[in-house]
Amino acid sequence: MKTKLILLILFGGFLFFSCSKYPPSTVRLTEDLVVYTKYDTSIKFNQFTTYSIVDSIGYISQSNGKKDSGWLPNADAQPILNQIKQNMNSRGYLLVNKNQNPNLGINVVVVKNINVQVYYPGWYWEYPGYYPPWYWGGGSYYYPYYPAYITSYASGTLMIDMVDRKNVTPDGKMYIRWNAYIRALLTGDHTMAQIQTSIDQAFKQTKAFPQ
Amino acid sequence: MMFLVSLLFAGTMQGQEKPSVGFTPGSFYTFSWNTTFTLGDFHEWVANTSPAGFDLGGRYFLDKGLAVGFNIGWQRVGQLYGYQTFYDNDGSAITADNYRFTWMVPFQGVVAYHIAPGKLISPYIGLGIGGDYMEHHLLVQEIDAYNVRWDFSLTPEVGALIKFGNFSNWGALVAFNYKWTTNKIELYHDSKSKDLSMLNLKVGLCLIVR
Repeated sequence: MKTKLILLILFGGFLFFSCSKYPPSTVRLTEDLVVYTKYDTSIKFNQFTTYSIVDSIGYISQSNGKKDSGWLPNADAQPILNQIKQNMNSRGYLLVNKNQNPNLGINVVVVKNINVQVYYPGWYWEYPGYYPPWYWGGGSYYYPYYPAYITSYASGTLMIDMVDRKNVTPDGKMYIRWNAYIRALLTGDHTMAQIQTSIDQAFKQTKAFPQ
Repeated sequence: MMFLVSLLFAGTMQGQEKPSVGFTPGSFYTFSWNTTFTLGDFHEWVANTSPAGFDLGGRYFLDKGLAVGFNIGWQRVGQLYGYQTFYDNDGSAITADNYRFTWMVPFQGVVAYHIAPGKLISPYIGLGIGGDYMEHHLLVQEIDAYNVRWDFSLTPEVGALIKFGNFSNWGALVAFNYKWTTNKIELYHDSKSKDLSMLNLKVGLCLIVR
């Protein structure tokens, strides 16, 4: 009888385990880095030869219920910017100063610990924008495709936008030809090396770039 | 659970009171632990063998060894995959660790033929016809992409009913089946799958009614 009772208890345990639809929270992947990229499929990226990149990384965040914004410390920003440059250079793009009329402009922003909706490239609902269109000499930014549909940035997201300065429309509209989101920077215990590897991955997984 | 415990006690007492001759069951009910082995496209989705599942069944003997009945159950298969890149035709790509799982609720009518149903060990062959409710989930961080599908399914099965004694109302069930379904997974263009199939190993307890 004891054996049968033990069997019943074991079966009850399996029953409970089976009915649980979702896996345990430990494997819910919330601390893993995610690299999401999207590019404009209507354009050839080998038509661009030069680029320029911002020299600092802005961030927006919220602490104690108050909106906050500022700039990443240089010690954090420069390794990220250098990694982007390294990937661009290795694909044959030439880094030039912004005043040398580069074909491409690269914006980099970090959204730290809040949920915001991307209002427009470079602008975030109720938060200040970084590197507005006139920074690159245009009147407005424009995505020719649906950008990454991610409205939650609670885990910290590095956003990279590639602005087309070669094909600015007469009314000053500048197309974003590529964007990359690297998520979960602030969860878990991620090193700068991991973030740099994720930047490499963002370029690697974009099939349109010269490899 | 209390119901099952009371059935267990009742079965044991009944078995002790019966005269020392064997009997042919009139019906039986099973409660089985179900281990799933995914096959084909389903195996590409989740390769792991999964012990997370159970099955409730009932059979009623019509004539000699011929029986009809039902099976319902719950099953879940899942696996964590490391850093993988998925591409879409619209120029997007995502690289991430991802956890994939499928949650299933199968329900089938069953017809089976038992060889020597009055013996201590009674092998059988059967065919289940019915359907499934399946949810296919792809988890990337807090993002949960999923499909919900109903399907039609066929399940040929071989197994054996093993009485705990010639006169016992309790026994064990061991069965192995191949299950073919019309279910599919469409979470990514590159991993479209169809006609999901699997093998199931069922081991369980059986209440035999005369």
